[in-house]
Amino acid sequence: MDGTLGLLGGIHGGADGGGGGDGGGVPSCGSILTNSKEDDTMNDQDMLAEVSSSYPVDDDLELGLGLRIGGGGSNAIQEGSRILRPNSCSSSSSSSSVNITNSSIAGFKKSAIDSVSPPNAASVVGWPPIRRAHRMPILANRIKSERKEYSSRAKSYLSVKVNMDGTLIGRKVDLNAHNSYETLARTLENMFYGRLSNTETIGRSRLLSGTSEFVLTYEDKDGDCMLVGDVPWQMFVSSVKRLRILRSPKSRNCI
Amino acid sequence: MDPNQKRAKAVDRVDSVDTGAASSESTRMCPFPDEVLERVLSLIGSHKDRSSVSLVCKDWYNAERWSRRHVFIGNCYSVSPEIVAARFPRIRSVTLKGKPRFSDFNLVPEDWGADVHPWLSVFSTAYPFLEELRLKRMAVSDESLEFLATNFQGFKALSLLSCDGFSTDGLKAIATNCKNLTELDVQENGIDDLGGHWLSCFPESLSSLEILNFASLNSEVSFDALEKLVSRCKSLRVLKVNRNVSLDQLQKLLLQAPQLMELGTGTFMQELVSGPVTELKNTFSNCKHLVTLSGLWDATPLYLPLLDTVGDKGLEAVGSCCPLLEELRVFPADPFDQEIFLGVTESGFVSVSRGCPKLRYVLYFCRQMTNAAVATIAQNCPDFTHFRLCIMNPGQPDYLTKEPMDEAFGAIVKTCTKLQRLAVSGLLTDRTFEYIGKYAKNLETLSVAFAGSSDLGMEYVLGGCPKLRKLEIRDCPFGNAALLSGLTKYESMRSLWMSACNVTMNGCRELAKEKPRLNVEVMKDEGSDDSQAHKVYVYRTVAGPRRDAPPFVLTL
Repeated sequence: MDGTLGLLGGIHGGADGGGGGDGGGVPSCGSILTNSKEDDTMNDQDMLAEVSSSYPVDDDLELGLGLRIGGGGSNAIQEGSRILRPNSCSSSSSSSSVNITNSSIAGFKKSAIDSVSPPNAASVVGWPPIRRAHRMPILANRIKSERKEYSSRAKSYLSVKVNMDGTLIGRKVDLNAHNSYETLARTLENMFYGRLSNTETIGRSRLLSGTSEFVLTYEDKDGDCMLVGDVPWQMFVSSVKRLRILRSPKSRNCI
Repeated sequence: MDPNQKRAKAVDRVDSVDTGAASSESTRMCPFPDEVLERVLSLIGSHKDRSSVSLVCKDWYNAERWSRRHVFIGNCYSVSPEIVAARFPRIRSVTLKGKPRFSDFNLVPEDWGADVHPWLSVFSTAYPFLEELRLKRMAVSDESLEFLATNFQGFKALSLLSCDGFSTDGLKAIATNCKNLTELDVQENGIDDLGGHWLSCFPESLSSLEILNFASLNSEVSFDALEKLVSRCKSLRVLKVNRNVSLDQLQKLLLQAPQLMELGTGTFMQELVSGPVTELKNTFSNCKHLVTLSGLWDATPLYLPLLDTVGDKGLEAVGSCCPLLEELRVFPADPFDQEIFLGVTESGFVSVSRGCPKLRYVLYFCRQMTNAAVATIAQNCPDFTHFRLCIMNPGQPDYLTKEPMDEAFGAIVKTCTKLQRLAVSGLLTDRTFEYIGKYAKNLETLSVAFAGSSDLGMEYVLGGCPKLRKLEIRDCPFGNAALLSGLTKYESMRSLWMSACNVTMNGCRELAKEKPRLNVEVMKDEGSDDSQAHKVYVYRTVAGPRRDAPPFVLTL
């Protein structure tokens, strides 16, 4: 099995794999245990190994978690197999999932059939119990992109330098934190607030509307100096290399 | 009855009202004429009190039913609209609740029911002067909204909470036709948002609005129309706009409505730029009556470096600055992503409890908790009436001791004697339920998920908890024995929900047979074993089995 179990990415992979429902779950867990050295709960590993090696596949799934509720149907089995997935064995995920394994096993030893298997939270219908109105996907997406930036597993962090005429020290802005020219322009206005004199924030950004004494330009892939705002946002993001706020109309060259 | 005769009696005996005597006589001994009794009873608002009043004697029953103006129906299937109309002839305001609460979390299939239309049809003839309608978890169509708007001339207040099946077109009908509208409150509904034009449908002549809440709608409304509406509704006291209204627009609205008491901004999408914020501050100071502010501020990293909130640090701040805090709700930023390590822990909760001893209502989502922390919290805040703790990983134990979370909830029920609502989570054995059954004397609503070890758990609860009204259970190892242990209790409760437990069809049939005045409904799941009862919904009713049940709902 994949030796990189420590990576949380394994969670999602595991979730899909669980759909197999059959012996797919067991052997992988067996090998997970043998590969995973960082796991400090050696006892768990032993216990799990015991479980997985002593019983045939189907029973394992049952013991492992299912103790379900008879009527759980295929859902239960899927949920069941997840507990033995990489995420629960991995030590780099939150300690809680390791504890689940702990207590599940402990539970089995005490009252085998009766304890309920705690499935992976992400795989259960209607759990956690949050109404759609209280979900904050925008916040969540932002957190994700922020953290990806920090953890350098970055896929979509696009920061470009911004220089302004008359300012020695430049700034950087993440274009993927924006989805329109308007928000970008406002961010830039705030960054350089004070120097963009008389900038009002009511109505359209003056940087974009051309009523400011400054103009917002960018250098594209070809090295050309272009006015910001002409092309659709996505196209702009894919071709921009750096931004410049120039004093107009005197400054014409971008160099 | 001769009114003069009655009045004579009243004069003689007006000082010595003895209700005990009145109810013990079979002949009429009530010292009050009907009119007086009705007048007195009309001052009683609480529907619980009114229920008690109606049980005293026939005269009081009649006086109560004639004087009742507001009826509260906690389960739309517990009674039929015809029965309601027959008993209460003079209703002006109706509150109606439909689907079981777990429908909020996708556990109830669509088309389950709770259609408001049959109610509206009956009301249009029985209560043509209906003024208020408050719906929660009902299925509402645009046609129903239009019917409502056109058939009730004096209609004033509409509140839709967690309803679904309608679109903004339905709101257009309300805005256009309800000439005396004082309240339009649309929250968290499964609404088809076709645009914000509905707001522009309020006629120029409409100036009676007092409450307007469209915070959960996504599309932009015409700010011009909104501003004009706000300025001509001089009695507007609650205004909750949606996230498309910018800071400076909000400020303009406030200028028009200095009498506002509650202001909400929905999810605020824009950057907090200092210019407008200052102006807004100045405008706020002109609003002398403003009591409540709400809104999720979702600003860019420039101003709020820790996007998801409130972490434990934020809660510490709350604990140190808000000693009078009574309600706290902490939601996770991303509940479905296991990767997120940010968010609150038990220490945040403890901090708040230390600083806010008046906490009554808490809803707290977290990824880790300890028994010790909850015990401390219970000690700090003994006045909890609503305690809802959701440890997001199902079946998770105390992360430090690895023990079940039994003692945590034990501490809560032992210490917080006023507890009315409890939601438990984490790894729990039957012991938790033993505590709940024994100590939670005022508990009315209990929500349980992924907990318990055996039938005993549920039996403890059904055997104790004298005031239990709503019990909702999912994914617990409770079976037929547990279900049947509540045989004598269910008629005193509003409802029981059990899903993904160990209950079988036979168990449900047995319950249905023993208790004909309960509706025992089983929802069939595709592909599941026919003998298992996957989703069970039991509720008391005087209306008999549902006549509108969809094919997947079996009434036993």
